[in-house]
Amino acid sequence: MWSYIIRRLIYYIPVYLGVILMVMAILRIQDPVAIHLGKNATPEKIAVTKKAFGLDKPFITQYATFLKKLVTFDFTEQSWDFPGVTVGSMIRRSIVPSLSITVPALILTTILSICVGMISAYFRGRTIDKTLVFFAVLGMCISVLVYIILGQYFGAYLIYKETGHELFAIQGYEPGLQYWAHYCLLPVMISVIVAMGYDTRFYRAVMVEETGRDYIKTARAKGVTKRKVMFVHMLKNAMIPIVTQVMITLPFLITGSIVLEMYFGIPGMGRALIMAVNAKDFPVIQAFTAVFAALFIVTIILTDVLYALVDPRIRLS
Amino acid sequence: MNLNWKESRAARKFFRSRSSILALLVISTYLAIAIVILVPEMYFDFRSWQDKDYTPPKNYGFINLEQTEGRVGTKNMPGFSLKPEPEKRLQHCEQLLEIVDRALKKPDAQTALAEIDFGTLKVADLPQPELKTLVDQGWKTFDTLATSANLNEAPEQLSKLAELEQIVNQLYPPPTGWKGVWRSFEMLLGTDRQGRSIMLRAIYSIKVAMQIGIVTALFAVLFGGFLGVAAGFFGGWVDHLVIWLYTTFSSIPNLVLLVLLAYMFTGTTWDGTLIPVYVAFGLTFWIGPCRVLRGETLKIKELEYVQAATAMGCGRVYIMLRHIIPNTAHLLLINFSLLFIGAIKSEVILSFLGLGVKRGPSWGIMISQSGSEVINSFFWQIGAATAFMFGLVLAFNIVSDALQDAFDPRHQ
Repeated sequence: MWSYIIRRLIYYIPVYLGVILMVMAILRIQDPVAIHLGKNATPEKIAVTKKAFGLDKPFITQYATFLKKLVTFDFTEQSWDFPGVTVGSMIRRSIVPSLSITVPALILTTILSICVGMISAYFRGRTIDKTLVFFAVLGMCISVLVYIILGQYFGAYLIYKETGHELFAIQGYEPGLQYWAHYCLLPVMISVIVAMGYDTRFYRAVMVEETGRDYIKTARAKGVTKRKVMFVHMLKNAMIPIVTQVMITLPFLITGSIVLEMYFGIPGMGRALIMAVNAKDFPVIQAFTAVFAALFIVTIILTDVLYALVDPRIRLS
Repeated sequence: MNLNWKESRAARKFFRSRSSILALLVISTYLAIAIVILVPEMYFDFRSWQDKDYTPPKNYGFINLEQTEGRVGTKNMPGFSLKPEPEKRLQHCEQLLEIVDRALKKPDAQTALAEIDFGTLKVADLPQPELKTLVDQGWKTFDTLATSANLNEAPEQLSKLAELEQIVNQLYPPPTGWKGVWRSFEMLLGTDRQGRSIMLRAIYSIKVAMQIGIVTALFAVLFGGFLGVAAGFFGGWVDHLVIWLYTTFSSIPNLVLLVLLAYMFTGTTWDGTLIPVYVAFGLTFWIGPCRVLRGETLKIKELEYVQAATAMGCGRVYIMLRHIIPNTAHLLLINFSLLFIGAIKSEVILSFLGLGVKRGPSWGIMISQSGSEVINSFFWQIGAATAFMFGLVLAFNIVSDALQDAFDPRHQ
């Protein structure tokens, strides 16, 4: 087991080096200092700023210093847009708001879609199944942004306008568990609805495929009831694709739902990145993407390992 | 290739279902509209490249960019010539009156009046004193209405409002004939916050969506597919390189990569065009087809007919072109339609973040603009953009499902 994990880790080292190389190259295709300072900056000022941030050195040197900073977890570089705020504190500050939306959303989506998918597979070919699939497909064809805009209007704004009582916040965020439902429940519900369409169809397909297997036929022939086959035999075997599906979505927990965060003004990771891009805040963009990629890779490795644990057919060699 | 594709099992299966034929029809309608908009635009673009001083005529083509950016009426008019609440009707009248009033007060009133541009709607061709009396009359009626509190209830107020609207109609006589038809077409879905026609913008966005979808999906499928087939077929260092490449690209979260690539272009000459969007989507989307095709090639490579071809002494490139690529073509087709949907949906997100389409309308721009309109209970823009997008995405969803079904060897 450990050798498998270590082998995976070693495998991803060149990948991560490539990621950092690519991110740094993309960010340097245009002079970041010139973009940040705007059109009126004098060449001298640009040169001074470049020197201050070490951007005048050759690319290889910059690459090495940035890698060194990443390996030693040195995120003390300061943001250009907010002088005095370090990149590390920005990351630390924004990770909790992101997770407070994505984790409940993932759990709820998975449970609900498995339930709906199972109902759909149980009544395969009948009206209930057809209606559910129909709505899932319809739901998939509408943009995320439409759900967010309408969700905010009907879920928060209209209730506030009609009753004068703010059930859900229209925008904003406050830390603390007691405020969670007020600020985060609506975004969570919206992201569950958005993800439901695709997930339901996926889980339904998994279940339907499983019903055609021989062991199901055997169990039915032995006289096991349809319901028992469904929940005992089938669900256990369908667990593998389900776990894989959940694992695949795990990395997106970190990036958070960028659009939701932007729209509801939740100060999460995604929002911080977009704000930095809009403000041309070079050190923040660089550090955030590097951290995103690192966390992403860690979750991919975790997925591989857990997948191997769940499915005994996958050999660890 | 001497292959009658119409007789193949997959094609027969695909065309058996009525919904997939309908979906294909919908897609071809969208495509036809996109071409009708695109071709004159390209022609005039070409002319203006050759001759820097050349400016295209104002109303060229079916719908052009300029028409989608121009004002056709007052802000947030509802579509289907529905009448909004009296308060909003009063606001529309006020806006229209004020525009004529302002023009009349200018020293050069004649040109100012001629400059008022509502697309096909023009100020009446009356002498200035007559216009002036009409405006004054309008303001008088407006003042009595604006000061009264209960606009909605009293019937005499409503008749006054109708009177005011008649005056405004005299100031702006509605066009007749073909122009009238075009006018009602423009106003069919109402106007947005800046008084631009939602119908024209939504239709023009078909072109934008088609351009983005076709260019990026085609690039992703061809590039990713080529790399995938090459990696699977040649193996060795090619395989290692391709795997490293796609693992690297997929180790950056999708949206973050899109944002980074779009950021790369800020401030360049390409900033206003669609090229940043193409590059961002193209470089993000190729991973999917690459993975799928690599796996499929690995599978096909071991099949008997490929081994037979090798035994017969066929060259490796020949086998790849003749035996492997044709047998993965259906995957390319399925991936194309999936990526097309992905591109259209991602465009909305990118445009919302301010990194997508920058010049001209697109469904993404329309939806993100309508956020502030929805707060004022105006749903026409978001509804129109969503409905137009819905049709295309649904059609592609149906087609890709039907394709997957038709080519799935497990279902006979």
